[in-house]
Amino acid sequence: MSNLAILPILLPLLTGIMLVFINKQKTLVKVITGIMVFVNLAVVSWIGSVVFQEGPLVLEAGDWPAPFGIVIVADQLAMVLVITTNLIAVASAFYAFRSLDEQRERYYFYALFQLLIAGVSGAFLTGDLFNLFVFFEVLLMASYGLIVLGGTKEQLRESLKYILINLFSSILFVTTVAFLYSVVGTVNMAQLAERVADVEQQGILTTIAILLFLVFATKGALFPLYFWLPRSYSAPPTVISALFGALLTKVGVYSILRVFSLIFIYKLEFTHQFFIYMAGFTILFGVIGALSTNNVKLIVAYNIIPAVGFMMAGIGVFSATALAGTIYYLVHDMIIKAALFFLVGTMAAISGTYDLRKMGGLIKHHPLLGWMFFIAALALAGLPPFSGFIGKFLLLKGAVEEDHYGIVAVGLIGSLLILLSIIKIFLNGFWGEARLAPEQEKASENGRLFPVALLLIFTIALGLGAEFFYPGIQGIADSLVDPSIYIDAVIKE
Amino acid sequence: MLHLAVLAPFLAAVLIPFFYKALRKIHTGWFVLPVPLLLFLFLSTYFKDVWRGVHNVYTLDWIPSLGINFSLYIDGLSLFFALLITGIGTLVVLYSIYYLHITEKLGHFYVYLLLFMGAMLGVVLSDNLFILYTFWELTSISSFLLIGYWYYREGSKYGALKSMLITVFGGLSMLGGFLLLYTVTGTPSIREIIERSDLVLNDTAFPWILILILLGAFTKSAQFPFHTWLPDAMEAPTPVSAFLHSATMVKAGLYLVARLSLLFAGNDLFFILVTGFGLLTLCWGSYMAVRQTDLKAILAYSTISQLGMIMAMLGFGTGVAILAAVFHILNHATFKGSLFMVAGIVDHETGTRDIRRLGGLFTFMPITATLAFFGTFSMAGFPLPIFNGFLSKEMFFESSRHFEHASPLVETVAPVLPVLAVLGSIFTFVYSVMLFFRTFAGKQRDTLEKKPHEAPFGMLVSPLILVSLIVIIALLPNFFNERLLAPAVAAINGEHFESHIKFWHGWGNPALYMSLIVLAVGTFLYLIRTKWESFYQILPGKLSAAKSYDAIVNGIFKGSTSLTRAYMTGSIRSYMAYILVFFIILISVTMTVTDGFAMSLEDLAPLAVPEFSIAVIMAAAAIGTVLMKNRIAAILVLGIVGYGLSLLFVFFRAPDLALTQLIVETVTVALFLLCFYHLPDLKKEYQSARKKVVNLVISVSVGVIVTLVAISSHSTKLFEPISDYFIENSYELGGGDNIVNVILVDFRGLDTMLEILVLGLAAIGIYSMIKLKGKKGENE
Repeated sequence: MSNLAILPILLPLLTGIMLVFINKQKTLVKVITGIMVFVNLAVVSWIGSVVFQEGPLVLEAGDWPAPFGIVIVADQLAMVLVITTNLIAVASAFYAFRSLDEQRERYYFYALFQLLIAGVSGAFLTGDLFNLFVFFEVLLMASYGLIVLGGTKEQLRESLKYILINLFSSILFVTTVAFLYSVVGTVNMAQLAERVADVEQQGILTTIAILLFLVFATKGALFPLYFWLPRSYSAPPTVISALFGALLTKVGVYSILRVFSLIFIYKLEFTHQFFIYMAGFTILFGVIGALSTNNVKLIVAYNIIPAVGFMMAGIGVFSATALAGTIYYLVHDMIIKAALFFLVGTMAAISGTYDLRKMGGLIKHHPLLGWMFFIAALALAGLPPFSGFIGKFLLLKGAVEEDHYGIVAVGLIGSLLILLSIIKIFLNGFWGEARLAPEQEKASENGRLFPVALLLIFTIALGLGAEFFYPGIQGIADSLVDPSIYIDAVIKE
Repeated sequence: MLHLAVLAPFLAAVLIPFFYKALRKIHTGWFVLPVPLLLFLFLSTYFKDVWRGVHNVYTLDWIPSLGINFSLYIDGLSLFFALLITGIGTLVVLYSIYYLHITEKLGHFYVYLLLFMGAMLGVVLSDNLFILYTFWELTSISSFLLIGYWYYREGSKYGALKSMLITVFGGLSMLGGFLLLYTVTGTPSIREIIERSDLVLNDTAFPWILILILLGAFTKSAQFPFHTWLPDAMEAPTPVSAFLHSATMVKAGLYLVARLSLLFAGNDLFFILVTGFGLLTLCWGSYMAVRQTDLKAILAYSTISQLGMIMAMLGFGTGVAILAAVFHILNHATFKGSLFMVAGIVDHETGTRDIRRLGGLFTFMPITATLAFFGTFSMAGFPLPIFNGFLSKEMFFESSRHFEHASPLVETVAPVLPVLAVLGSIFTFVYSVMLFFRTFAGKQRDTLEKKPHEAPFGMLVSPLILVSLIVIIALLPNFFNERLLAPAVAAINGEHFESHIKFWHGWGNPALYMSLIVLAVGTFLYLIRTKWESFYQILPGKLSAAKSYDAIVNGIFKGSTSLTRAYMTGSIRSYMAYILVFFIILISVTMTVTDGFAMSLEDLAPLAVPEFSIAVIMAAAAIGTVLMKNRIAAILVLGIVGYGLSLLFVFFRAPDLALTQLIVETVTVALFLLCFYHLPDLKKEYQSARKKVVNLVISVSVGVIVTLVAISSHSTKLFEPISDYFIENSYELGGGDNIVNVILVDFRGLDTMLEILVLGLAAIGIYSMIKLKGKKGENE
């Protein structure tokens, strides 16, 4: 049974490798991708339901017992994120079929895409800190491949910064793991949690914890470490931007969530209080960035940052309610970011520009696109009854209960500014004088809207159907507050 | 059933596009009309429960685990508002059928309108704070869509955004207040919160709760200084202005204050804020209305001022005041609704709404003019028993003078209140008179695009009904009082308030003299208005809420742009510098605060000459690399560091690591040499000395900090490492002599496999980058 835990990694990994070899048959590649994304989604959903009914599945790789070997831990948190990842994968695959040029398809887009999914799923599932580093490498290397794919001037320029900064954080990561190993003598997360608890996170351990935080915060694009994000995420084709925006930063957030709810939780007044400040600045600076530009894709890319800030706020507040908010927001944000990238990509494909000042009146000939965008914009800003509201409600409620009024104020102001930044696209892109050439008016976007519709259905379901999802999420948050659940699942004595 | 009533407009909104598409020949409005009408009739059936004092609560689970349940509550107050919404809604839909031509995009219009209607019903019927908030934001959104109905106009876009930003700002503040309320009382149910009002009043967060919630109410009900969105909202089609922006949506704020006044009543801060902003808005709105030239703009400012007046009465909080407030909400809906419709008719039939160009319309459109006459004079509070506006205005004067059980603070400010009430009413009188006479009386001033003529009968029906109501209410106020107003007042006040509305109170009634002052001074000011018009250049002069709004919004955009440009330089050097500076500060602070530094000299290998000299050489080579002016020299010098490291491995008895390091170093140096052969010569970069020093400081600090952390980590060994297990078991279980090998291929074989994958990925990535480069890959 526990072997199931590796499937979410193994399936895309094998698919990706297979796609490398049959690369020449374009149709076959697409067919296999199309089938496999659904198979993956079905499999991970099934594993998820098993995990939710019977508790975490722990696989000891190579049958070496924890904490000596590597463990793959499919707990509820990991599975929720893996399922969401695969949902994004389905939508992205279909968006790619409709939007990607043949050149890029031929040069291993689908293989890199599958391996990226494998890396992301692995990062969510691993229970070993060094193995987490390795999965980071997998997903980063796949992302390096994707970000330069096509080799336009802008892509090369921006990917250089992306790669350099990520390289720096990878070096820091592996160094920090070495430091940590020197102090506590293990890299198994459950055992780390046990041992750090035994010594109450004394001495250099908090410094090491903050080093780890820096690594994850760089990946997660927190203030003031996100400089690489906006341009490099908006340089590649839309489907790649969407994958990055939906998945990569979230791996950073997830890692912070895991490490700072499981292992380093004995100096909360220092670490988590600091996170709240980080969250506040991240929300504000991120949304200020989003307001600073007229490039539609850049607006969406910048909007990744304040969302990460919201999630950080929940980790900083560190109550069961706030953590539930973080998880809900995480899932919501993965979905809505992918949807928004697809939407602005479609807008740009129709009007031939990313510059908002050159767009206008799109709604006249593309009403479906317009209304989908409108819903996505409201969901992004966290207005009810969409998914963003539930997450934000939980986060703010948690913060109010713990008397963190400052972050509540920042969160509310941030929401208004997010709304302004995104409704600006609707106002100037969809409303206003029509500026389309006759052939652009007739341009069909229907194939591209299917994946968006899929994602929006989930956004609405997560909002209106919150009663179906929320208790599960709250259950996860409750178990995060009590690390012994995770530790006992991994280390059986 | 009640849930169905709230949801019915939404259901209809889903169906309307189909009617619109299928039956193009028939005006879609006819399909919409039954919705508010039936709802009105259905809601009227709740009267008998309300009269008997039975308050129905219906709950439908939405997110019970979060306490967010779709629970509806119907008492006098919610019934009053619900009837207002559906009643005016019916008339507005009827009017719109004649106002909007069949070629307009009616499908959209009615969908938005129905969305609004459902949302508004939701606001006034919700018992759950967060459901109320949900519907509240939905009214903002539908208002946004309705203002932007003619989306290709710049004005519509501007007005739509403005109203949305301001009302959503208020909505979010209100959400903050609600969250505080929820946390303090532990319940999201408004009724239960009111029962626990002492918990709220004694909480330290109380001022915040009050201010945040009032921000929501004030923005929605266009109180000064948030009123500025309302005049711009007049870009919406006139039926929308009549419905949302005078009769219903803008009264949501009043509803909220009324609904929560049991919670806040008697609190000084509540009194000061609500009364203060109410009266200020009353005066400012009416003063500004006189200056307007567009019919709809006059009506917009007039609405602002009337909303201020009602708000002030809710702030007074006495029984008379509350009754007057509720009464005036009803009266305002009748006369302002009819006036908006009249303005729409004038616009429709003459092609302009500019009072400088209009005049003498009485001759051409006598019915419309008569309707306008009743509307304006009721609004002015003209003392005749056929104007309902007079009755509530006089009650307003009355209530501004009497405060039972007043606190010291209330007593201090009490004398000012009647003065402000009269002042605001004088200007109200002026603009009402101006509105009527400049449009309908006198001679026609300008040739208009259309030859003015009377409106079609259909368009006149709705204002006619409203005007009849003006007169009927004025003649039979107590019929409405007993059935409609008293239950609402009881719901606001928490107790039944006995009262009798009378036209004539006798000569001893001070309110009468206040009315007469308004009449006299108002007429005088109207007659000499050209003499004092220049006063507007002093007040407001250059100040205006609209300009502040523009300045704030533009400031946000401009400020964001310049701030972001300042640090998003696009240069990797500055990004790295920011990141490293943050790293230095954060880690040094953390180490200091948590007392992390430790240094232990036990367990150190003896330092011999060879190790020491190699270390010195490595350090020198590392520094040398930076100083080299030639790429190849730099990489060769860097090679010394790598080879030095492998030598160190040899000295520390790790021959396999030494070998690996040696191979890796050789291969990378060779590869670099091959690549660099193709690159141009290294150009000398000119950097200011200051920048160089800064960079030097940053890099040295990073090095020092990493070293300190490394020393501390080495010196704080708290547990036995798990490597003992590998040493013990690698031969027996792993079947290999070389522990490192066994770890790599067995104990942690998964890592190794994935690292191989990483290499494969790198190969694919580089291959496609090189192959695709230069080929112009179409972006999208």
